[in-house]
Amino acid sequence: MTDVIKEDQVLDCSGMLCPMPVVKTSKAIKELQSGQVLKMISTDPGAPPDMEAWARQTGNEMLRSMTENGKFVFFLKKK
Amino acid sequence: MSVWKTNDPEVKKILYVQTHGEKDPERTATPFFLATAGAAMDNEVCIYFTMNGPQCVAKGNGERIIIPRKGGGGKELKFFIEQAAEIGVRFLVCQPSLDLHGYTMDDMIEGVEMIGGAAFNDMACDADAVIGF
Repeated sequence: MTDVIKEDQVLDCSGMLCPMPVVKTSKAIKELQSGQVLKMISTDPGAPPDMEAWARQTGNEMLRSMTENGKFVFFLKKK
Repeated sequence: MSVWKTNDPEVKKILYVQTHGEKDPERTATPFFLATAGAAMDNEVCIYFTMNGPQCVAKGNGERIIIPRKGGGGKELKFFIEQAAEIGVRFLVCQPSLDLHGYTMDDMIEGVEMIGGAAFNDMACDADAVIGF
């Protein structure tokens, strides 16, 4: 049983393709305060490696990367 | 003074070089959307348009150049240009490649900046990555 992560904001990027999920995530995280969590949902098959790279490069923390109901779901904590 | 604006060592500098234009519509969108993704990762990103590249940022071509898609329904290049510009990607051209097409800066879309060969090489030496198309 994994802990439930509580998000502060949800961003649904379903149907969007590269580079839109990254662009929308970048904008959304800028609206948050440090330590707040963004839940991002994507159907782009390239999203898992893209979001890992985005988090590593920007220094925002990837708390969890998972698949839910056939969609990719990411929990990102603002640095 | 460098064309790069950042002094922050944490911010990486990525320089894309686009040499293709109207004759190769399938080669025109990628530098814009990779640059967009790069800027979304908090990097400083510029695209340098040379050879046929300036055709990508000439007024009217954003609407004229259609990115082909198998089965039809391709997008206008304009979509990718605006997406990149909106997130802060800067567009650079050089005089000789404008002359090649009979362009002046007035033929370029808003925001395009002119640099020369020395500034380009200076930017390349200072960049964390230079990616050519």
